[in-house]
Amino acid sequence: MRRLLLGLGLTAMAAAPLGAQGYRLRLDTRYESVSFRGVDIDSVPAASVVNTSGAGPTTADGFAVDCSGGNYCYFFRPGARQHGQPLSTHADLTLWGLGVPGLTIRASGRAITDLTANSVWAGTEPHLLLMEGYAEYAVPRVLARAGRQIVTGRLGYQGFDGGLAAVKLGRTGLDVTAYGGWGLGRATALPVTSPALNPLDDFQPRDRQLVAGADLAFRHRWVDLRGEYRREVDPSVHYFVSERAAATADVHVAPRLRVSGGAEYDLAAGWWGSAEASINYIGQKFYLSAEGKRYRPFFDLWTIWGAFSPVPYRSVRGSGGFEPVTGLWIRGQAERYWFDNAEVSSPLVTRFEDRGWRGGLTAVATVDPQWTLEGGYRVEFGPGASSRSLDGGVTFRPSERLSLAAHGGSLDRPLEFRFSDAKVSWVSGSANVRVSDRLRLVSDAGWYGDKRRRPDAAGFDLNQVRVSTRVVMSFGSNADRLPPARRAP
Amino acid sequence: MRSMRVAALVWPMLLGGSLALAQAGPDRFDHPKHATMFPRCETCHVGAASEGAPLFPEVTSCAACHDGTIKPVVRWTPPVGRASNLKFGHGRHREVARAAAGRGRGDPPVCSNCHQPDGAGWMQTRRAVIGQCLSCHKTGPDHFAVADTACATCHVPLAQVESLSRERIKAFPAPAAHRVPGFMAIGPSGHGTMARSVGQRAVAASCATCHARDFCANCHVNAPETPTIQALDPDPRSLVLETKLVAPRNHRNPEFLQGHGASTGRNGERCATCHTRQSCTACHIAPPGKAIQALAAAGPGRGLGAQITRKKPLSHIGDFGNQHARLAVAEARSCSTCHARTECLQCHRPDPAAAGGYHPAAFLTRHPASAYARESSCSDCHNPQQFCATCHQQAGVVTTAPLGGRGNYHDGKQSFLLGHGQAARQSLESCVSCHVERDCLKCHASTGGRRFNPHGPGFDAARLKRKNPQMCLACHGYNIP
Repeated sequence: MRRLLLGLGLTAMAAAPLGAQGYRLRLDTRYESVSFRGVDIDSVPAASVVNTSGAGPTTADGFAVDCSGGNYCYFFRPGARQHGQPLSTHADLTLWGLGVPGLTIRASGRAITDLTANSVWAGTEPHLLLMEGYAEYAVPRVLARAGRQIVTGRLGYQGFDGGLAAVKLGRTGLDVTAYGGWGLGRATALPVTSPALNPLDDFQPRDRQLVAGADLAFRHRWVDLRGEYRREVDPSVHYFVSERAAATADVHVAPRLRVSGGAEYDLAAGWWGSAEASINYIGQKFYLSAEGKRYRPFFDLWTIWGAFSPVPYRSVRGSGGFEPVTGLWIRGQAERYWFDNAEVSSPLVTRFEDRGWRGGLTAVATVDPQWTLEGGYRVEFGPGASSRSLDGGVTFRPSERLSLAAHGGSLDRPLEFRFSDAKVSWVSGSANVRVSDRLRLVSDAGWYGDKRRRPDAAGFDLNQVRVSTRVVMSFGSNADRLPPARRAP
Repeated sequence: MRSMRVAALVWPMLLGGSLALAQAGPDRFDHPKHATMFPRCETCHVGAASEGAPLFPEVTSCAACHDGTIKPVVRWTPPVGRASNLKFGHGRHREVARAAAGRGRGDPPVCSNCHQPDGAGWMQTRRAVIGQCLSCHKTGPDHFAVADTACATCHVPLAQVESLSRERIKAFPAPAAHRVPGFMAIGPSGHGTMARSVGQRAVAASCATCHARDFCANCHVNAPETPTIQALDPDPRSLVLETKLVAPRNHRNPEFLQGHGASTGRNGERCATCHTRQSCTACHIAPPGKAIQALAAAGPGRGLGAQITRKKPLSHIGDFGNQHARLAVAEARSCSTCHARTECLQCHRPDPAAAGGYHPAAFLTRHPASAYARESSCSDCHNPQQFCATCHQQAGVVTTAPLGGRGNYHDGKQSFLLGHGQAARQSLESCVSCHVERDCLKCHASTGGRRFNPHGPGFDAARLKRKNPQMCLACHGYNIP
């Protein structure tokens, strides 16, 4: 597999741009070297723990232990440093001009592996993935696709193997889309039956779900409306995996003022899902945005998680930016959120946090066309975890083809449910070189100082150097390479 | 009487025109001083009366008197004709003037009509002025306000006057019509309409007087396909007249970028004047559509036209990355004009070898805070099992037993087990990135364990049973209530 990937990369690098027309090929090869480190569960006999005054029981070497399990006390040691070196090549091909006006072939696939021996990096299995691969026929009022494809909408990115048809209804501004096929898992190009989607040996459906959906969209100069319906059905038992509907609206109230929003309704669970409404004004030197939002997770019905009644959080959010002097943009945002009542009661336990807030302030100064400075401060305090970070960077563009950047920052992160405050400091540098219109190189390297702070011996450091490289190549024809217009006699 | 008036108008022009053509320096000949010696103008200015003869005398003819004895010798050379785009000729004007004055072909010309102010004595001459031309040709008092048909009366097209220098062309004054609002726009007062405004001719002579094809092609990228422009002769000297491509008024609308597709016309004809295909492909990445293909491709023989730099629409300001979803949903086709699906997939189907991008640096450490109360939905881009659970498994933070079974990872809260229900309902997605169903069923199943009821607010048992009773089976077995 590694040889295949390396071969693909080298072939792509050696290939000369082709002169044929009606195709576009993009190859994107990436490599990253990165470390991570977790924890390992361990235990000692209960009789061997050391009871320290004011600090509870610990192991002899200072690890806090949990002795509620009987004869043994359990604790988590810092895990081994794990090193991943994922290497991937993403190929994206579009063919058109195939003799049938409006016919396009599109394929997007990825080959990936972890160059380390133990393949610890997540998402490197399976090694070959077809993200999309379909034939599309598009004429002014009709679009049809067949093959592996992704439909996008408020109900999410849904991949499936099947067909799609879209019709524009005359001058009414209405578009109708319908699709159906065998579904893929959420946010992946794999079916839900793939072993790669079951690392914890949890329950998994035997068959791929059938997906069917329809969209109705209305487009006008000032208004965009869209309604969606989508259902997924387990073909083996004909039960629903999901059934949802959603609506979205975007209204241009005035040339610089727009109001947008949308909502989802889970027809299977019988409750409203996520929703939001926002108003945005964009001026010459400033912009303002206000938003009300509600977020509720969605679970497939082949899991039991929906029956655990996840509660939504609601939030109000404001953001804005202004340019006090030419070239300097200051942007800020703040959000306050609170969860709905979870309706649980534990008399012996103090209630956990159920609300939080987050915000940030950034400044970007374009000193001149070559130099850009930026800095930002971001805070998030809420249930589960919090974080606070300060970072900054400078970008130097000596030419249109070269960009050099340096960044640095510091982050503090306390957790609510585990003693594991963390502090990370980092400095990094990157280079982006557009060798030609068809070849781009990106590389960056950074040092990360990662310290986990605990009152016992379980704190650990994970200082590391991360390196990544990316090569993007494009081949094929563009509109500008079509035959020039004929000169008038 | 009428013919006398015509002659009085024509002859001043006749002589003045000849002087304008022959302007090579100051007229140093003292006409009044020689008034008693020359009863007729044609004695010296033979060309004014005889076609093909020189208009000015040779200096040798002066030597009859100025021989150094009678009078001092004079050194003088006849003026050389100055380059001009006038097509004035004495012969034509002479015939017209004679006819108007009722004179015969053999009668002398009436030079004084143009070259002598009213009431002045013999040989009190002056140069003819342009106003005299206009008054005779009835074009009105403003030279530059004449009708297009009138320009060619006196002027030849620029390209036909090879001797005219670039400096002279650059100094051409602009007619008043060029300063009228809307002259550069499409409309009745626009220059395009005016250029086509003359009957059978492809281009107005008024344009051709000062301009040539090169000048128009500087902005009009469709010049090779435009008959009006092609009717002009090529002449690179015309480029010395500076012009600047000005965007139409509607292009300055802040939201023009989003809606410009509707204003291109069926075949992009409204854009073809200033834009080549390259203007479109600077942003549009989709295979070129009909409107784009109808535009000319940039290249030799065409001017640069409008130069387009790809830039973000107005809406892409601020933290658009977090806000783009609803706009992309509402008008996905707008996105696809500039963005390839590959760009979407880079985040929505992230490459495990990619080094960040959407998330800020050190996000690995920061992500617990972002994941608990999700600012954006993680599972729009990350598969919870393939991405979250796999990584947590490698990091050793996934469960190996029910809560409280072996070790207490959640040691930041005393009695977390007893209070975990609130945390779970608030962020169940975070829980299931480490825990599997069987961990929870140990306590929350009605078929065994502690039989704690997990159902909370909004739970609709009947509906879920109707939609998928298998979910109920997991906890209730076959005794679904």
